[in-house]
Amino acid sequence: MNIVVLVKQVPDTYSERKLSSGDHTLDRDATDAVLDEIDERAVESALQLKEANDGSEVTVVAMGPDRATDAIRKALSMGADKAVHLSDEAIHGTDAIGTAKALVKVLGTLEGTDLVLAGNEASDGRTGAVPAMVAELLGLPSLTHARELTVDGGTVTVRRETDDGVTVLTAELPAVVSVNEKINEPRYPSFKGIMAAKKKPVTTLTLADAGIEPSDVGLSAAWSTVTESNPKPPKSGGEKVEDEGDGGSKIAAFLVGQKLI
Amino acid sequence: MDFTESDEHRDLRAAVGAIAAPFGGAYYAEHARAGTECTELWHALGDAGFAGVNVPEEYGGGGGGLVELALVCEEIAAQGAPILLLLVTHAISAEVLVEYGTDAQRKEWLPGLASGRRKVVFAITEPGAGSNTHKLTTRARRVGDEWVVTGEKYYISGVDEAEALLLVARTGDEGQLSLFLVPTDAPGLQKSVLPVDVMLPEKQFTLHFDEVRLPASALVGEEGQGFRQVFHGLNPERITGAALCVGIARYALSRAARYAGEREVWGKPIGTHQGVAHPLAKAKIETELAALMTRKAAWLHQHGHPAGEAANMAKYGAAEAALAACDAAIQTHGGNGVAQEFGLLPYWGLARLLRIAPVNREMVLNFVAQHSLGLPRSY
Ligand SMILES: Cc1cc2nc3c(=O)[nH]c(=O)nc-3n(C[C@H](O)[C@H](O)[C@H](O)COP(=O)(O)OP(=O)(O)OC[C@H]3O[C@@H](n4cnc5c(N)ncnc54)[C@H](O)[C@@H]3O)c2cc1C
Repeated sequence: MNIVVLVKQVPDTYSERKLSSGDHTLDRDATDAVLDEIDERAVESALQLKEANDGSEVTVVAMGPDRATDAIRKALSMGADKAVHLSDEAIHGTDAIGTAKALVKVLGTLEGTDLVLAGNEASDGRTGAVPAMVAELLGLPSLTHARELTVDGGTVTVRRETDDGVTVLTAELPAVVSVNEKINEPRYPSFKGIMAAKKKPVTTLTLADAGIEPSDVGLSAAWSTVTESNPKPPKSGGEKVEDEGDGGSKIAAFLVGQKLI
Repeated sequence: MDFTESDEHRDLRAAVGAIAAPFGGAYYAEHARAGTECTELWHALGDAGFAGVNVPEEYGGGGGGLVELALVCEEIAAQGAPILLLLVTHAISAEVLVEYGTDAQRKEWLPGLASGRRKVVFAITEPGAGSNTHKLTTRARRVGDEWVVTGEKYYISGVDEAEALLLVARTGDEGQLSLFLVPTDAPGLQKSVLPVDVMLPEKQFTLHFDEVRLPASALVGEEGQGFRQVFHGLNPERITGAALCVGIARYALSRAARYAGEREVWGKPIGTHQGVAHPLAKAKIETELAALMTRKAAWLHQHGHPAGEAANMAKYGAAEAALAACDAAIQTHGGNGVAQEFGLLPYWGLARLLRIAPVNREMVLNFVAQHSLGLPRSY
């Protein structure tokens, strides 16, 4: 089975994230960058499928600046076999639709893909739309928000979990599956994995290499424009409740006031 | 000259840090206080191949060297989980067995060391011979095709956790030093806990060897070559000891910097006062200097260059930096500096101990005075 995992490098959720003052895009230099946590789980799913199906290969695909190679190397050190990195100045500021279009072109450079895996949303943009858009553009079944994933012969089955409930979905391969943060616990890269990662093939593509129209990507092609942004206000002191025997009801009243209960 | 760290080493640091972080200071301090082994952390490190980074691949290890082992020691310590015993099990025992062990000894012990599941500790110190190894008296006599050991060792760490110990004893008419692998349950080997007031996950032991019989196959390397062979493990012990100290210092300083940035006594964070900030800044500088020398020493050893001077200097600098960092961190925390909840004293105790062991500060200064400066020797 040929499995492709779409991975993204995002700012570490523990660091303070900022928008750059010029074009209101994410200031990637201001923060530590890591492989997105949910994408790590998608990689883990791919590796588990590979281990259960002899002769499988796991390819990671990433779109992002040069330093996204660190995130790619992490996926390779976990055990993925090879990578394709779309790296071009012109993709800066691309929105979800442009990202999906570009990823589809990159996927087109790979042959015989049976399963495309992705995290259901990236912790920076959080649009949560790219996997479904990729499936749509490829004309493949889209199975999103997977909490469990199994492949049996040519059939993929997922247990889809959202706030609306639980659904069991089945589709014929090839298909696109996005996983949620509960699907598994990703493995740590091992020492051998780390040492091997550097030697694994990484193909770097420009827009032209992948056959992507420059007019489909970048800030100017984005369907929405950010006109203004402000940092979130610092946390205020909050409200102190003195307990004079009626602490419980005061807290309840506060929660009702906040429309929390 | 190039000071950029390779991708592999950056990834190694991040991966070890990620494994140790969920354990962290709370886990370590609890085990140090109770004097119990950090089993889960040993296993986690073993499973990801980080305990055995310096064990060859054919024995289930990572095939790396001392540079990588030192990074592992530094990073676990930087997350608050400095496992002292790695200095003997992996820096001494594994290095010596890889270099001088017989095929059978390597096959028996290296895979377990690599997986973090089995331990071989190290016994050289005796009541009458600490800094001065010329005074060692423990003897192994050859009787038929066996060795018979008599003598006493003390301050031997982790004997209860280990299945074997690498023993330094005198052999032959000349009384040259030789190395032996001794099962910790060997008949005639009496082990008693030597209580220490430093909080450590590892217990220390006094060992009495009363006619302990070992098969001929227990000899490691060549008879009478123990001195040279032990030296192959002592530099790694000093270098990993230094790395552990660098990690301890980083941990103490990060805790102190956070506290000094948050705690307000006079309406602004206490870190604003230079009386608080400068000791931390000074310790930070000393830590970075020690880290540089530690990396140099590890690199020299790994590339087969003489590493004695650098290893000693790294050990000195790192122990002093760790102690200064812990002391400043405790002072920064005021009364909380000694509170169990803040768990800083176990690190101070460990850093204080590392000024004495595996080689004490004065013996390092002797080495530098004599070998680096060409001064006459006082002993
Ligand atoms: C917690 C702990 C764990 C240990 N684990 C092990 C272990 O696993 N295996 C093992 O074999 N050993 C172990 N040791 C022993 C350790 O290596 C020795 O304690 C250390 O080498 C110092 O030896 P000593 O205690 O005999 O001190 P001594 O040799 O008695 O020295 C006492 C002091 O005198 C000074 N001194 C000595 N000689 C000189 C000199 N020539 N010039 C100037 N000053 C001098 C030094 O300041 C030194 O601190 C451990 C020790 C401790 C405390």
